[in-house]
Amino acid sequence: MTTAITKVEVQQAWTIARSEMRRAFLSKRGLWVYLLALFPCAAYLAHDVQMKVMEERWTRHGLTSVQLVDSFTKGETADAVLKRAPNPAFDHSWKNRRDDDGDRDGRAAEGREKTGKDRKERAEETVQRRAITYFDGQRVVDLRFSDGVLQEKLVRPIRDLEMDRRIFAGIFQYFYLRLAIFFGCLGIFMNLFRGEMLDKTLHFWFLMPVRREVLLAGKYIAGLTAASVIFGGGALLGYAAVLWPHNGVEGQAFMAAVGWSHAFWYAAAAVLGCLGYGSVFLAAGLLLRNPIIPAAVILLWESINGFLPAVLQKLSVLYYLQSLCPEAAPMDENSPMLRLLLAPAAPASKSLAIVGLVAVTALVLWAASRAVRTIEINYSTE
Amino acid sequence: MTSTEVIFTDVSKFYGEVLGVNKVTLHIPPGITSLVGPNGSGKTTLMNLMTGLIRPGRGSISVLGLSPNEPEKLMRVTGYATQFDSAPRWATGMEFVTTGLTLYGYSQHDARDRAWQALDQVGLTEAAERKVAGYSKGMRQRVRLAQAIAHDPQVLVLDEPLNGLDPLVRAETITLFRRYAAEGRHVILSSHVLQEVDLISDQVILISNGMIVAEGEIRGVRDEISEHPSQFIIRCRDASRIASLLFCEDHVTEIKMNDDRLGLLVLTRNREEFSQALTRIALAGYSIDGVIPSDENVDALYEYLIGGGRS
Repeated sequence: MTTAITKVEVQQAWTIARSEMRRAFLSKRGLWVYLLALFPCAAYLAHDVQMKVMEERWTRHGLTSVQLVDSFTKGETADAVLKRAPNPAFDHSWKNRRDDDGDRDGRAAEGREKTGKDRKERAEETVQRRAITYFDGQRVVDLRFSDGVLQEKLVRPIRDLEMDRRIFAGIFQYFYLRLAIFFGCLGIFMNLFRGEMLDKTLHFWFLMPVRREVLLAGKYIAGLTAASVIFGGGALLGYAAVLWPHNGVEGQAFMAAVGWSHAFWYAAAAVLGCLGYGSVFLAAGLLLRNPIIPAAVILLWESINGFLPAVLQKLSVLYYLQSLCPEAAPMDENSPMLRLLLAPAAPASKSLAIVGLVAVTALVLWAASRAVRTIEINYSTE
Repeated sequence: MTSTEVIFTDVSKFYGEVLGVNKVTLHIPPGITSLVGPNGSGKTTLMNLMTGLIRPGRGSISVLGLSPNEPEKLMRVTGYATQFDSAPRWATGMEFVTTGLTLYGYSQHDARDRAWQALDQVGLTEAAERKVAGYSKGMRQRVRLAQAIAHDPQVLVLDEPLNGLDPLVRAETITLFRRYAAEGRHVILSSHVLQEVDLISDQVILISNGMIVAEGEIRGVRDEISEHPSQFIIRCRDASRIASLLFCEDHVTEIKMNDDRLGLLVLTRNREEFSQALTRIALAGYSIDGVIPSDENVDALYEYLIGGGRS
């Protein structure tokens, strides 16, 4: 039996793909995949709105120039600071027992030795505390005074690009790749055959003069196009939502340096995730009726990937996808178990990851093409 | 291998432990062939097997020399209007037919032309641009028929094709089947309306419990049923006298006289001898207006061979 695809069959596959795209994009059963795809974007937009509200609140309390804020140095008195910058956002004073203060900052023992005063006497002594907070439009600066002298200067940017990028890397690897694309592809690709079985419409395609493998290819193209647009687009929108508020010098510098490259690799990882998981769930839809079983098995397989021998690790979609991510995801160093589950087993190079992923996909699609030849229309058992 | 027949060779199909069809061997020649049998007897299973929707557990099937395992070849010469009532949600009647035709290699323009002709043949042009999902049951039946005939197949397989058709479309559809048969093509259909099967079929296949009970031309099948006497209705003026003459014949087992005394129902074990007896009676000067076999129809065959409830 010939397995080579002819020009006519390419046209047939494209005709099928065009028809099936409606099912892939707009299936009522699968509209929830849009929620998964857009979650990072929505979360960051919500975060942006929250930051915007916070900025406005700080601005209402008082805005100080950047130069002035940067000019405050340790050892200055509160009066000198207020003289230069008379409109702090907050100014708060309180008293502490010196003992409490010493215990907190580790200077108690030293104080006792120097003064030789006993504990009772010390308890009666107090230290005058003051916190003056300024806002320069981007950063909140806390000045901590003890007995009127500036001891500490804490600077907190309202928007922290570095932090936002790290959090996005975590969301992308732990949520987007492992859950959103995984379950999204489950919804899109399993629906292509299993959904038609449930709708009792698969016979429509089986009664066409089309090789089953061509039908499989057409449906896979439709699913892959839909999943890539939804999840690749979702990744780009999410990344845009991360960068959008940082449109100043810092943001522009980042985009000029590595921003576009990162955006490309996030989108590429999402699309390649759809390529890999899509083939797996397309095959699962041919072989199994209940999507929960393959989903659970594959999720488990992907999760324990780090524990597997090196050869088996390469039979995982996630193994390759993590290697494509442009930034390392934050990891809790204090949870070795979590680290083992979430960390990439042994990251491959990007080119090797792409080749490996395509190879895994080709292998799974080959198995699916064997299965689709023997599939029968038996709606009564669905 | 080229062949003009649809051939089943020792085909069995089980759904798990449930019998679909068992050891079916059939040679279906061109013409209109009706599959007749009760619900669950295996009619649809046979149709699904010959179109590749299901695979036989054993045996082989050949449709004009083509295997159902090669839909890319088989479906170019075959059209199948199934009983599955669903259609893709996205499809209008026109899209339902044209999508199929584009897969046959027709250009969009040609596909629309052909689709329009097919929809016209089943009286569905007015609803062509409406979604199939919104069609009535009868309209869905018609659009499936349109899709099956749109590419002008050599083998037309139709599961209960006349269900839901209004009398005019039904008559036109039967004419279409006859035209196909006259052109040497296959029209293989199942129907539970036995009178209809009787009217349109060149041959019948009676199936019960997954087994072929009888196959062939209706008259030939009837001739082979020896345990049931053949029945004839005789229209005549002197019914009582003719009845007494026929009673003298050994092969006549029963005679019933019509209430109007202008007709007889005669049961005979030997059609040849009955024919000769009638000739003798006519030559003796008795007037016989007509003789009609009353059980040379699918209804009678069904009753004799299968009995019980009809599908």
